[in-house]
Amino acid sequence: MLKGTQSKKRLVLFIAFGWALLILSNQVGDLKLYQGSFVATYALAITSIILLTGYSGQLSLGHSALMAVGAYAGALSIFNAGLNPIVSLIIAVLAAGTFGLILGVIAARLSGPYLAGTTLALAVSLPTLANQFSILGAEEGIVFDVGPAPARFGEDFSQYKWFFWISSLAALIMVWFIANLLSSRYGRTFKALRDNSIAAELSGINVGRVKVMAFALSSGVAGLSGALLVMLISGVSPSAFPLSLSFALLTGAVVTGLYNLKGVILGGLVLVAIPEIADSLVSRIGGSEGFTTTLPGFLVSALLILAVVFTPNGPGHLIKRKHHKQKVL
Amino acid sequence: MTQFITAVLTSLSSGAIYALMSIALVLVWRSTRVINFAQAGQAVLTTYIGYDLVQKTGSYWIALAGAVISGAIIGAVIDRFFMRPIFKRVKTGPIVMIAPVVATLGLLGIIQGLIGFKWGLTSQSIEAPVSTDGFKVMGTVIAFSRFNLLVLVFVSFAMLLLTLLFQRTNIGLALRASAYSPEIARLSGIKVDTVRTLGWAIAGASGGLAGMLYIPGYFLYPNAMDLLLVFGFVAAVIGGLESLFGAVAGAMILGFSINFATTYISGKLFFPTAFIVLVLVLLVKPAGLFGSKKSRGA
Amino acid sequence: MIRNKSMRRASLVSAIVATGAMVLSTLPAQAATPGVTATEIKLGISSPLTGSAGLSYGKVPGAMKAYFNYINANGGVYGRKITLISRDDKYLPTAAATQTTNLILKDNVFALVGALGTATHSKAYKAAALAKNNVPDLFINTGFSGFTDQTKYPTTFMVLPTYAMEAKVIAKAIKDNFAGQASFLIAQDDEFGTDGVAGFKTAGHTFTLAPILYPQGSMTSARAEAALTGLSAVPGKPVVVLFGTTDVTATILKAAEKLALTTKFTWYAGSVGADANTLLALGVKPTTVNGVISASFMPDAKDLTDPYVKQFADINTKYNKGITFDNYVLAAMNSAMLTVQALRAAGKDLTRAGIMSAIEAKGSTFASAGLVPLGYSATSRIGYNGYWVSQLNEKGEGKPYGGKLVIYTTDSGAGAVEVSTFVRPTMPKNGIPTNS
Repeated sequence: MLKGTQSKKRLVLFIAFGWALLILSNQVGDLKLYQGSFVATYALAITSIILLTGYSGQLSLGHSALMAVGAYAGALSIFNAGLNPIVSLIIAVLAAGTFGLILGVIAARLSGPYLAGTTLALAVSLPTLANQFSILGAEEGIVFDVGPAPARFGEDFSQYKWFFWISSLAALIMVWFIANLLSSRYGRTFKALRDNSIAAELSGINVGRVKVMAFALSSGVAGLSGALLVMLISGVSPSAFPLSLSFALLTGAVVTGLYNLKGVILGGLVLVAIPEIADSLVSRIGGSEGFTTTLPGFLVSALLILAVVFTPNGPGHLIKRKHHKQKVL
Repeated sequence: MTQFITAVLTSLSSGAIYALMSIALVLVWRSTRVINFAQAGQAVLTTYIGYDLVQKTGSYWIALAGAVISGAIIGAVIDRFFMRPIFKRVKTGPIVMIAPVVATLGLLGIIQGLIGFKWGLTSQSIEAPVSTDGFKVMGTVIAFSRFNLLVLVFVSFAMLLLTLLFQRTNIGLALRASAYSPEIARLSGIKVDTVRTLGWAIAGASGGLAGMLYIPGYFLYPNAMDLLLVFGFVAAVIGGLESLFGAVAGAMILGFSINFATTYISGKLFFPTAFIVLVLVLLVKPAGLFGSKKSRGA
Repeated sequence: MIRNKSMRRASLVSAIVATGAMVLSTLPAQAATPGVTATEIKLGISSPLTGSAGLSYGKVPGAMKAYFNYINANGGVYGRKITLISRDDKYLPTAAATQTTNLILKDNVFALVGALGTATHSKAYKAAALAKNNVPDLFINTGFSGFTDQTKYPTTFMVLPTYAMEAKVIAKAIKDNFAGQASFLIAQDDEFGTDGVAGFKTAGHTFTLAPILYPQGSMTSARAEAALTGLSAVPGKPVVVLFGTTDVTATILKAAEKLALTTKFTWYAGSVGADANTLLALGVKPTTVNGVISASFMPDAKDLTDPYVKQFADINTKYNKGITFDNYVLAAMNSAMLTVQALRAAGKDLTRAGIMSAIEAKGSTFASAGLVPLGYSATSRIGYNGYWVSQLNEKGEGKPYGGKLVIYTTDSGAGAVEVSTFVRPTMPKNGIPTNS
């Protein structure tokens, strides 16, 4: 009964938020819309990390590779097979999810650093595979063109607004789906697995199978975010998914809380906003060429460290802990 | 035939280089249960310090000593003022595994930034202390030089010395105990925090050695050891993360696999080989070649 | 009541209209053209400043700014000062897309100059809707021939000769000078490599073995040693062509030193990877660098007898303090000089369409340090269309191969490689263009 009202509440919340975004999109300029599209995409990617790491306890450094799988699948289906963009996004999810399923079978036997190492090796090697098969377009890559907005929106409908609508809608739907999943029995199973796999096993949970499922789901979500990302840059190429992207996503997830989905938008915002802030700070301060070019990276790293030191469990937990401390006293 | 001999020799050299990094990573893991991604940054930083020393004194060996010592100091400082506060705040959950990883990633960025501030972004080179020309064997020049030999010697020496330290000394025991079971170690009177700092110092020193042995064959710039970090980590995982011998073995296996695959099959297999070898090993032995199930902990 | 309301409404409306008219009339006359005011022209560049690509190309924006500051100190362009806004894209397509979009939407630049990289710029071009907004994309820093396709890149003007052109010139040089020897190609497995491979094919040149292609970042010393060992078994003195970045050229040359194979081969380093000073700085022995053949379309940065080089070097000393003057700085300042001439040729009433037609009409006559002609016309967006063959020496200089400067011109397709009698325009006094 409780579940019923909770999931209804969530649906209403998501729909309301969607409407708010729609209204907002008509008020702001192209630049903010473009940045907003990236926020949505990164928020979605962070969701996949939270699902896998925060909920099922598996650390992956290779999400950039999973995003790449989805991106290439999506690009191929538009460019080579001429399919509808919406279909291509679905294909991206399925392709990445299937890949994640296979990967998950391997990963289920591994833990901690062994899994980290495997996903790291995957992250560096998968993009280079694109150079092997000419159908994948090598370094120039494949164009990902979702086409202009439908004619009925009028000629002045900005391409950036169209991107924003697509990415926000896709992200909203997927995050809502995952949120529902995580508050259901499956979510509790994941959490049990994360907190104590032995106890989980003893209470009848098929640990291996759950781990694989989590991996597949997480990969599907990552694949969608990868396809959305290449939509925003109008094409996919191997260099669009470097190792540093995996690290950036992990950063975003940690900074905003690894254990629940509430912070994902904030995480996306952080990933988009921090380089911007660093850039504008640098242009105001000026200084030697060496200083101005390395400062943004420096600031991003500094923020990451501060976040980990002061809020390793995410800002939400920080507040909870304070209350807890007071109670104990 | 020469192709084969060259492949073997260059694999030995590559393997030795990867081993430099995998040893440092395993050291940190064994003594603190953390994967230190900043290792690449620390090693580059100490190598820049070494570069300055070479410029000032003209001697590679002084620079090497300087790099190793500064590596130890930097490692200790990082643990004391950076990792320790993190460990204090993070005790349970998968975040225990992840927070240090993410923190060390941030640290890597900061170190590379600092290097950029101080030394600028252009690349430099450090001259090797001994000849980099190949040995002449029966009239032909082989793909193995005095410098390659030097690196191999240093790697073997480091591996033996550090293994002795871990297995045969009280400090080594304290290091292992603090990593494996901090609470119990504390109860037996071990100053866990101090011991952990020592572990980071040793790993930092070994990273300093790694940089000074690697850079003369390559070039020096802030991101110079990023690739080595990835391969070093993969090698360490292949070897099992539990023993330094495993670290070297894993590095050699990786070096041989990549070199032979790129020479005889296709140059494009450079990165994929690492992944394939790693997966093959882990499928058969999920804890790595020389790792054992019981010591996997966490 | 109604009358009051409608009166109030009427007065409100007229107040708004009046204010609006006042506001509109005080807007600068150039409000229609972004990035241009009565006193300023804003240009933008997205290029790698950090990361491994930043090593070679990090100097470009600073060098261009130095030249623009020199021009600004001497009256600017029809009284307008040029401001170059530089954004770091780390050689990543995602970053290039966002940074270029930022340049257009946030910084409101008039035009882009010197955009860098194929994978990066092809994504950025589309993502930032440069075609739709008719944003001039001037003098891009890449030799990929695909950018001359005006249906895909209608506002783009190349400046570098294409990699395919270079391959054809190299092929001719090998045929003319090393006809009896075997030849091999080691190339980066991306647009350099593949454009170059295609160029060799068009020129009809077949290498003795299939080209050795390596993914970016994977040419380690081990790999180089293995490759050279394999090639060393070939009799005679084969020609080895290296089509990659300077750090890879250095790695391969150092491997040759190790294996005592430096004199076994005739080395041909593609222009992207042949900066002699960088090779020396990366530890390649001077005796090894001596004799390496390359191709260039510019005078060597060390040749201070060349008036353009001397002028740019002086500007570098005054306006780009702390940066060593090298071939990258020379090329960047040269592009900046071309940009100033384009701005001037577009006239005082500066518009985006205007500058593009100006380059089409007059661009081929612009003064520049390039020793080969510029190919701009109503139908062509190709910049420099040729090369001269150079040879490096121990001092890090590039001198004409064979002692005499011979300029070749060609196209990216099946056209022949021809000797050109091109004489470049005299440098404007003090390096300050006065064209119109």
